[in-house]
Formats: sequence, structure tokens, C-alpha cells
Amino acid sequence: MRIRRTLTVIVGIMQSMIAVLIVIFACGIYFNFFDIQTSLNAAVESLYLHILALFVFGSFSIISGLFLVHEWLEYDKRSCAC
Amino acid sequence: MKTKRELGLFNTVIMGLSGAIGFEIFVLLDYAYFHLAGSSIVSALLLAGLINLLIMFSYCELGAAMPEVGGEYTYIKTAYGGYIAFISGCFRWLASVFAAALAAVCFTQQLAYLFSLFVPEIESFMLAQMPLIAIAVVIVLATSEIKGAKKPGIFIVFAFIAIFAIFIASGLLRGLIPLEILPKQPLEGLPGVFAATVYMFPMFFGMRALIASAAFIKHPGKNVPKGILLSALLIIPLYASIAYVATGVIPLEETRPPAPFLNLAAKEIMGVAGGVLFAIAGMVASLSALGTSLTVQSSIARGMSRDGYLPKVLLSIHRRFGTPYVAIIAGSLFIMVLGAIGAVEFLGYAASFGSLLVFALVNLSLLKLRKKEPYMERPFKTPLYPFTPIAGVIMSVALLVFPMFLRDVNAASALVSGIGLTALVLITYYLRMMGRHRLQIAIGGVGLGIGVSFVLLTCLVEAGIMSPIFPNIPSYIMLFISVISIIAGILNATAHG
Repeated sequence: MRIRRTLTVIVGIMQSMIAVLIVIFACGIYFNFFDIQTSLNAAVESLYLHILALFVFGSFSIISGLFLVHEWLEYDKRSCAC
Repeated sequence: MKTKRELGLFNTVIMGLSGAIGFEIFVLLDYAYFHLAGSSIVSALLLAGLINLLIMFSYCELGAAMPEVGGEYTYIKTAYGGYIAFISGCFRWLASVFAAALAAVCFTQQLAYLFSLFVPEIESFMLAQMPLIAIAVVIVLATSEIKGAKKPGIFIVFAFIAIFAIFIASGLLRGLIPLEILPKQPLEGLPGVFAATVYMFPMFFGMRALIASAAFIKHPGKNVPKGILLSALLIIPLYASIAYVATGVIPLEETRPPAPFLNLAAKEIMGVAGGVLFAIAGMVASLSALGTSLTVQSSIARGMSRDGYLPKVLLSIHRRFGTPYVAIIAGSLFIMVLGAIGAVEFLGYAASFGSLLVFALVNLSLLKLRKKEPYMERPFKTPLYPFTPIAGVIMSVALLVFPMFLRDVNAASALVSGIGLTALVLITYYLRMMGRHRLQIAIGGVGLGIGVSFVLLTCLVEAGIMSPIFPNIPSYIMLFISVISIIAGILNATAHG
């Protein structure tokens, strides 16, 4: 149980952070910050599809990560109550 | 409480006209004329009006059969139940918010133009401060909405019709030569005309105001369809004539002029007085539309909150003014952000897409209700059923897709935002209805699937079977993200309730 609890918070925070970076990355591509579209060498015709995929995956991962963090907080509350 | 039916046919038509005659014509013609369809915007406007009329037939039947408060939300809820009604409510809300932001941007454009007529030096300053002006306008309007400001009466409809009639008559008297404008080719060919049709579609949306007020109309079975048809038959030629005169006056140059197209045409025809008149009319129309959109978005949000889809706090009423202040403030925050972006083209498409999806759902509801409730009393029946509602669905979906053929960046951005918001809407619904634990397990399963798929994709790319999406990103980063996704998926899927 203790291992799961530790793993839950580490993976939860890690996934949320990666997801936020993915969303920022998608925004970077969309607004072409620092000419990122050229440096990534991505195909222009499918760029919007990739941005959409990144947004969906990023948003999904944020929710998934937050669920894990929430679960860890509940563990914490239960152990405090005991 | 039973509502009192007191509006006759005349008032019904005026209501349809007051909804349809708005700020959109002051702001949407520019991009459609200079970038999409050229002088073919006249054809695009006629097409948009006719498609709107086709869709409105379904509204007529449903509005006459179910003249209760709630409009399309009620029809879709009766046909498909809460889930689809919730989605339609969200899109209707989003369309109102995008339209309100567009109105705020239109107001700032008209204000900058008005100043440029008298103090040209200040125009660049005004244009630079547009986001701040848009935010300030929304704050002022939201405050007056919270205080329960009265809406402008029907006199404004007559004032606008008079202004537009003077514009058309002066333009025609000035001497437009039809041959000058008819032979010009559309800028982007036929797809450009269709894209312009989509882009200018919001000009006719307001006609739905009549349906929303069906509960207050006498003999709704007769007056609602008649009102819609009459207001459509007045508004379509009016807008087409305005576009015809404006395109005949302002030449299609390579560069788009900085000032609003319709104001320039008015100045060209009626002198500075025309420019001033149209700038004031544009500002009044924008403020009126912004106020209406704030009310509409707050009533939609409250309706969904009452049905348990959104937090109950949105139902809060101001103690002193008796207005839904929380719903108004919540919507105003979104409008302020969108208004500050100031991207007219993006907002135009986004408002159009949200409403087109609702239109498609309303037509589908009609088809479903004809089967589900065959004995329902229908004072008005859509002509040529089932072809009319099927054509309505096809046209709504086709209009969503057309701008993509042009690779229009604004349309693509609006569609991407729309899909992202749809995902958000669906997640909100499931969070609200499914309960957190069941949703967590579902998300865990999907996460696990995505993670495994990513590992497989990375292996295929490494083996040279597939080409990478982003060649400059190392594959170990993809592998790391996949592993995290798999572990998170397992943890979520095995979570304890």
C-alpha cells in the first residue's frame, strides 16, 4: 500500500507536469514561438492535426495526473483520520 | 407560472428583424470581400440567407409544436434527452460568448474609425488600445446587465432599416453599373464563396430570437412560421442589397483597407456624414448585441445549472437588482479574454461553428420527434419532409467543413478550438454524471491504451517502418512519456473507490 501511495504521487505529479509541458509545446507550435515550426521540421499540411492531438493528449494527461494526486491526498486524509 | 401570450404577427416579425439586424454586417463583410469571395459576397449572402431559411423551417415546426420557454434546448431535450441537450446548450452558450466578443471588437473598430474621421493622429493609438477598450466595454455592459438595464425598443429596428435604406438608395442613385461588379471572379473560386457563406452566416442567426420568444406569441402555430418567413424575406434582400451597393463602390484592391469596409462605402456614398452615421450605428448595434448576448448566455448557463449540469452557484440572483449576477460575471470573463484577443476572423468562424452544430442537432431532433411522437400536435409542418430537415443537417455539416478546403487558418483555428471545447464539455458532463471513481477507471483504461500505442509507434519508427511526426524529437522522450502514461493508466484503472 505504501509503495502504491508513493508511486501514485510521483507518477501523478510527473504526468501532470509533462502534460502541462505538452500543452505549452502545442501552444508554441500553434503561435510559432521562436520559429518552432521550422525547427521541428514538421509537415505543414498536417500541423493542425498534430496540434489537436497534442492538446487532446495533454488535457487528458492533466486530468489523469490530477486524479492520481487527488487519490494520494485522500490516502493522506484517511491515514490522518486513523 | 404560465406566460402571457401578447405578441401579434407584426410584433413577431419585428422581433425576428430585431434579432437579425445587428452588428455583424458592420464587421463580417470585410474579410469575406477582401479575402474569400470578392464581389461574389452578394451570392454568398443570398446562399447564407436561403440555407438559414431552410434550417428555420425545422425551427418553425418545433417552435409551433413546443412553444415553451427554452427554444432549441427544449426541442433537443425532448428528442434526445439530457446528454445531447447539454452538448447543444454548451455550444449555444459558446456561440453567444463568441458573438459577444465579436460585438466588443466591432465596437472598438467603429470607435477607432469615428475618431479617425476627426482626429486622424489618434487612430493608431486607438487601434493599439483595442484589447483594453474591448475589456472596458464588456465590464460596462456587464455592470449595466447586473443592474438590470432596459433593452432598446423596436424603434432601433426601424432606425437601422431607415439607415440601410438611405445607404442603398443613395448608392443606386449615385450610379452603380452592374457590369462593373458582376464579371469579377471570386477570389478563391467556388470554395471561397462557400467559405464566405459560412463566415457571414452569423448575420442571420439572430432570427432565432423569435423562436426563443414563442411562449409570448399569440397563436404560435400560425404566427411563428409566418414571422420567420416574413422576417427572412425582408432581411435577405436587405443584406444582399447592402453588399451589392458596397461592393459597387469600394474596388477590390490587393490590400485590405484599415478602416471597416461598410463605413468606407458609406463615406464614399454619403460623405463624412455617412461614415459618422454608420460608425454610430455600428457602435449602437454592437452594444445592443453585447447586452443581448450577455443575457442569452446567462439564461443558458442558468438553464443548464437548474438541470444539474453546471454548479448551482450560477443560479444566484443579486439581492438588490434581482439579476443573475454570477452567470453574467462568469460569461463576461470569457468574453473579455476573447474580446482582448481581437481576432475578428477567428471569432466570426467560431460563432458560426457553434451555431451550425446546434442547427444540425435541431434538424435531427425534428426527424427523431416525427418518429418518436407521431401524434404530437403540429400546427405547422415542415414542407417536403423529410428532405428539408435532412438537407438542413447536410448543409450545417457541409458549411462546417467547406472552409477547410481553402486551408483557411482562421477556420482551422476555430475548428480546433471547437473540438477542444467539445472534449472539455464531454469531460464536464461525465465528471458531473458518472461520478469521479468510475471516470478515473475509464481514464485509466484509455491512458493505458494510449501508452501502449505510443510504445508500439516508437518501435515502428525506430525500425524504420514509419516516418516520425516530429523528426527532431528523440525517440527516448516519446518512450519515457509512454511509460509514464502506462503506469498512470494502471494506477488509475486499479484505483479504490
